[in-house]
Formats: sequence, structure tokens, C-alpha cells
Amino acid sequence: MITFSNVNKWFGDLHVLRDINLSVGAGEVMVVCGPSGSGKSTLIRCINRLEQIEEGDLIVDGMNVHDRKVNMTQLRAEIGFIFQQFNLYPHMTALENVILAPTKVRKMKKDEADKLGRETLKRVGLGDKVDSYPAQLSGGQQQRVAIARGLCMRPKIMLFDEPTSALDPEMINEVLEVMVNLAKEGMTMIVVTHEMGFAREVAERILFMDEGQIVEIAPPEEFFTKPKSERTKLFLSKILTH
Amino acid sequence: MLETFNFRVILEYMPLYFKCFSATLWLSGAGLIGALLVGTVACAMRLSQSRIVSLIAGVYIESIRSTPLLAQIYFFYFGLPSLGIMFSEEVTGIFALTLNSGAYMAEIIRAGIQSIPHGQIEAGIASGLSYFQRMRYIILPQALGVTILPLLGQGIVLVKDSSLLSLISIMELTRAGQILTSERFMPAEGFLTTAAFYLIIYYILKGFSSWVQKRLIFREAY
Repeated sequence: MITFSNVNKWFGDLHVLRDINLSVGAGEVMVVCGPSGSGKSTLIRCINRLEQIEEGDLIVDGMNVHDRKVNMTQLRAEIGFIFQQFNLYPHMTALENVILAPTKVRKMKKDEADKLGRETLKRVGLGDKVDSYPAQLSGGQQQRVAIARGLCMRPKIMLFDEPTSALDPEMINEVLEVMVNLAKEGMTMIVVTHEMGFAREVAERILFMDEGQIVEIAPPEEFFTKPKSERTKLFLSKILTH
Repeated sequence: MLETFNFRVILEYMPLYFKCFSATLWLSGAGLIGALLVGTVACAMRLSQSRIVSLIAGVYIESIRSTPLLAQIYFFYFGLPSLGIMFSEEVTGIFALTLNSGAYMAEIIRAGIQSIPHGQIEAGIASGLSYFQRMRYIILPQALGVTILPLLGQGIVLVKDSSLLSLISIMELTRAGQILTSERFMPAEGFLTTAAFYLIIYYILKGFSSWVQKRLIFREAY
């Protein structure tokens, strides 16, 4: 579904992605972790070309993202992206937020989109919040609206960029629960997160990045109990002891 | 003092004032519409990806904002004809007001657009919305709320600036005051009446502005 071959990216002099080779299959759930500045956000932002890559090939759903001729609208419609800061449109209700892209990009009819939007908001536990504005919702609720907004496009892939990092602790679980259900339904997901409980429960593989490189990829069991690299051990000792 | 203030002469000159009042209204009305158009286009150019296009808009905005309006009016009125470009006084006046106010409006609109957090634009990009769809559905509805009051403020400035057009012999409100003063030697009567008419325009625009503030800006608590 997603294949990186020798992908390199620079921000000016900073080499943020170094020779990335990675393949994520359909239906797979992969968790990406690593210290801040390691390039994990950049890695997933390249997948829907929120960032350009300078070298290598990145094939998503059979399309070469790097190729300028590729129809990015079509590709992006297939990829849901969830941001750390939710990024809801504050002048629209929850329902208006989730049906904007379906009606404008997918050209879905208004009443059909309306029905889909209500169903999807219900699915993330916000059936009673359709007419609320983002400012009237808690952080956890806003992030669930953002997930519903992604799902309304019926995407093949969902990307999550630290979806719970901006949330108060008591709101993290309601968002993770939605994500766990999504994973169990067979969605292809790449999740940048430090929620190791979530990684243990649903990830097929965990990817650890440092300084723009993939240091280690392993199934959760192996990743937590016998990490191969010293760097991974150090990282795990820091985030798991508390 | 009041014994010497001559109301009768003001009444006598009322037809002239009304004529000039309507001239001020249509000159600034035309200038306002022109400035909104020029400002929108200049702002779009300023924000363009193309460096050249952005630079052209930047030079226009900066050169207008860094020079006095009166010098600009004189340039258009005396300078352009000397280069062989001739317009009537009214057209020259509207042209000067439009270009002057357009530069300020471009910056107001730019501030409004740039006040929209970048994350929302990325969210739009990520869901496949085109540049124009993002402008239409995400950026402009919010930018309008932020910019409408400063734009109306700039509109009020434009109306007051139109008094400078009296210096290129356009018949407008300030010119009416000058005429009364020079014909009857009554500057107090002449310019107070002029000021009173500007006050009327000001209150109309201010009333519109408060109405907009109550009605159009965000439906939700922000």
C-alpha cells in the first residue's frame, strides 16, 4: 500500500530523512516512535505530500507521490490525515467540518453527505454534537471530530501525527478507543505516537526512528522485550520507566 | 460670538453644499469600490508563489504607503498630463483615491488571510481541497470577519482624504467651504458646514460598521 525506496529529504542543510526504505501493507497498523526531531512527523507528511521529497521513490496506492504529474487531489482523498492540533475549521459546526471535503472533493450530494456525516460522528461517539462548533467541544471531542472528518472521505489509509499529544490526560483514552476500533476494522494506519499501550494492543510493527533514519522495525513483543539497538533500549528506558 | 455667526449665509449656500455633498459621496463611493478591487488583486498578487508577481505588488503597496496622498494626487494631476496621459479631474481624483486606499486595503486583507492558522490550510490540503476551495470555504469566510471592520475604517479615511481633491479644483465638500469663504469671507461658517456634512457620512459608515459587527461576524462564541 505504501512503499518508500531510498527516500531522502532535507530542510536546508538538515538531512531529515536518510535513505528510508519501508513497506506498509494494506490493513497493517504501524506505530512510529522516536525522539523529537527524529523525522517521524516528516515521514508521514511525505505520504500525502504535505512535504516534498528530494530523492527516491514513494509509492502510495500504486501512485508515485514524487511524480509531479500525479493527481494529488485524488491521492489525498484516499488518505486521511489527523493532526496533533486537530485543525478543525472554527467557523463550521462539527457536521459542516466533516462533510466539507466529501461534498467539494468527492462531489457527494448534500443530503447523502449529511447522512454520512451524522453516521460517522455517531461512530466516534459524538452523535449529539453534530451542531456544536469546535470552540464548544473539549480537546478529545475535537480530535474525534477530526478523525470523523478523515473517515467521511472513506479513505484507504489513515495517518496520525501525534493525535493525543495535545490532549489533557483524561481525554487521551476516548481518542485512542476510536483508533483501536478503526484498527480492528482493518484500516491501514500509520500512527506517530508515544502511547505504548496503544502500540502494544494494535500495532503489527513498531518503527523506531532517530536522526532521520529507521533504527529498528519490529513487532511489539520483540520491540519491547528484546530491542536490537542500543539507541532503542535507551529510548525505551526513558519513556517506559515512569 | 453667536451673533456674528451667520446662519442665513449657510442656508443661502445649501444648494452648493448639497451638490458638493453628492460629489463627495460618489467620488468616495467609486474610490471605495475601486480600492476594494485593487486591494484584493494586489493582496492576491502579494501572496503569490511567483516572486516576480509578489514583487510587483510589493513595490506598488510600499511606494503608495511611503508617500503622501497629496503628492500622489499632484503627480496624477500634473505629472501624467506632462507625460501625455490626460484624464478629467474626476477620473484623476477617483484614480488617486483608488490606488492610495487600495494599497492599504491590500495590507488589511493580507493580515486577515494570514491570521488563519496554517494548520487549517494544511487540513484543507490533506483532504484534497483545491486552492480556490480552501480560499472559498476555509480562509475567506474567516478572514472577512477579521477584516471587515478595518476595511470600513479605511473607507472612512478614504472619505476624509477625498477633501484633498479640492486642491485639483474638483467640486466637493471642502471646495464648497473654500468657495463660501472666498466669496463672503466667512471661513467659520464655510468650513463648519463642510465638517458637518463629513460628520453625516462618518456616522452612516460607523452605523453600518456596528451593524456588520453585530450581524455578520462569527455566529459562534470564539
